Amino acid sequence: MARVPFMMPKPADLLQLRADALGRLAELGGSVHVFKGMISVTLPKEQVISALRAVRDMGYEMLTDVHGMDYLTYPGHKGKRFSVVYDVHDLSGAERLFLRVDLDDGESVTTCTGIWPGASFLERECFDMIGVVFDGHPDLRKILTPEDLDGHPHRKDYPLGETPTLFNDGRFLDPPSFRAGLTGRDPGLTGWKGGTREGVSATQVPGPRSRLTSNLDAGEAGEN
Amino acid sequence: MATKVPAPAQDQGQNLGAFETKRMRINVGPQHPSTHGVLRLVVDLEGERIRALRPHVGYLHTGFEKTMENRTYHQCVTYSNRMDYVNGFAHDLAYMVAVEHLMGARVPIRAQRIRVILNELNRIASHLVFFGTTLLDMGALTPFFYTMREREKLMDIFENVCGVRMNYGYFRVGGLRQDVPEEFVPLVRDFLKTFPAYLGQYDTLFMGNDILEARTRGVGVLTRQQAIDLCLTGPSLRASGVPLDFRKTAPYSGYDEYDFDVPCYDDGDIWARLQVRMDEMHESLRIVQQAVDRLEPGPTIDPDRRISLPPRWELEDSMEAVIFHFKLVTEGFHPPKGEVYVPTESARGELGYYIASDGGSMPYRVKVRAPSLANLQSLEVSSIGGLFADMVINIASFDPVLGDVDK
Repeated sequence: MARVPFMMPKPADLLQLRADALGRLAELGGSVHVFKGMISVTLPKEQVISALRAVRDMGYEMLTDVHGMDYLTYPGHKGKRFSVVYDVHDLSGAERLFLRVDLDDGESVTTCTGIWPGASFLERECFDMIGVVFDGHPDLRKILTPEDLDGHPHRKDYPLGETPTLFNDGRFLDPPSFRAGLTGRDPGLTGWKGGTREGVSATQVPGPRSRLTSNLDAGEAGEN
Repeated sequence: MATKVPAPAQDQGQNLGAFETKRMRINVGPQHPSTHGVLRLVVDLEGERIRALRPHVGYLHTGFEKTMENRTYHQCVTYSNRMDYVNGFAHDLAYMVAVEHLMGARVPIRAQRIRVILNELNRIASHLVFFGTTLLDMGALTPFFYTMREREKLMDIFENVCGVRMNYGYFRVGGLRQDVPEEFVPLVRDFLKTFPAYLGQYDTLFMGNDILEARTRGVGVLTRQQAIDLCLTGPSLRASGVPLDFRKTAPYSGYDEYDFDVPCYDDGDIWARLQVRMDEMHESLRIVQQAVDRLEPGPTIDPDRRISLPPRWELEDSMEAVIFHFKLVTEGFHPPKGEVYVPTESARGELGYYIASDGGSMPYRVKVRAPSLANLQSLEVSSIGGLFADMVINIASFDPVLGDVDK
């Protein structure tokens, strides 16, 4: 029995690791996209495995997740319908990269179980939910859904199986059309986007300011 | 395989004359107490030794992710904690930090501290269930009652805070549903006073037990490299010698303010997996103690009206408050377009919500990175070559919750 001490990683090392990895991925034809501190690199389909192997050898040693995205109904989406996202991070957990590959319906991608045997269940889940085929996977079967279920539930064209609600005045409420106003595809009845007026920060809503602040101080904000 | 169990002696079969060992396929579960839920295993046995093992999961698949894609961000609070029903606050917190990161919400300090207290108490409760059931699988009935007794006190605290014992739904985007009741701090302080004595008892009773040591030392060994390759996370990974803890290196909800240690052992056997969780309960207590000491009065939710409901009294004399209230209840808020993922450390491993937003008030895609599913793969590698009876405690030592596996 030996206890292993915990060591905080050095920020300079992590920055170096990131710079090296992004440089290598750029050589492999990756395009970088950053959103809220999250670095995603989209790679050509042929280079995914060599890219995963390269970042693993550099220090992104752990694979967290392999999951699929279906952009069929995403507003303004151009390009291929599916994406597979590989989520890798280093052993300290502080440095993380998202490698992505775009696929069309019917396209397959090579499995990464040769690099991480633990990708097996993750790829099986992706296959089950989105329908992406991983070439060379040793045991590509459905994992979560029943064997007699046709289709891949996380595809956006998979029906939800809801029944329209009948009200007693003979009016029907159709769930999909009811929800349409809540998606980004439809502005809804008023086009409200949850924001306040331009230039007015939300904490400055007109109202009894003295009561607002005194109640905030007393810790009662949020009670309804 | 690296298990230290000696290989079956060859001459035994010869001495018995006609006795021969044939490969036999046995079905375990899905409905059996030792599988901790509805886990089904198909095991190939040669005598008592396991030669092959295949987990079958999905009996509890509920389609939470798909459901969440068709509910507003606020309504999803109902679903997140129902996946891992033993450690619900961790799922709530993981969902909240992801949405708050997407929205850019500023969570007040008091709300963060209360979240940390509840999350760490829930981690202790989860580990108590782990110890109770794991030792139950080894044939020790008494520890289950001991650990459940303490867990009951934690359940009382949770019930006091949010009115329910298991499916909490207490966190909101930007903070908490409401402030904690007056009795909360005394209850937590009382627990902090009494629990260390019980924890010492558990340490002597469980970890100091010769039978437990004999059953778990060198059994179900996962080496460091195997654990990394099999995408293992959480306490089980730390038992294999990788000190990875997202509370330290990717702090969320103000975890970087607290002083705590990350227990990690390089044995990789079942004993280490138990010991790591035992040590983690001590560390969780330390965090709770610090958080309670620093708890100060203040707001418990981000006052930004884009995301949080206005307080009830404001509705009486502010027209705008009524409008905000109506719009938030009927439509919810609209985060910017984009995709976020925030890793958190649950009692079982890395837990994170990958949320893709299309600008609407419902998430376009929610992918839950649940720790139990990936951790289950290590069961195969660590069980093969070992005894069938050891496999049962091996399942328990990875602490799978099947709601978390199947989602």
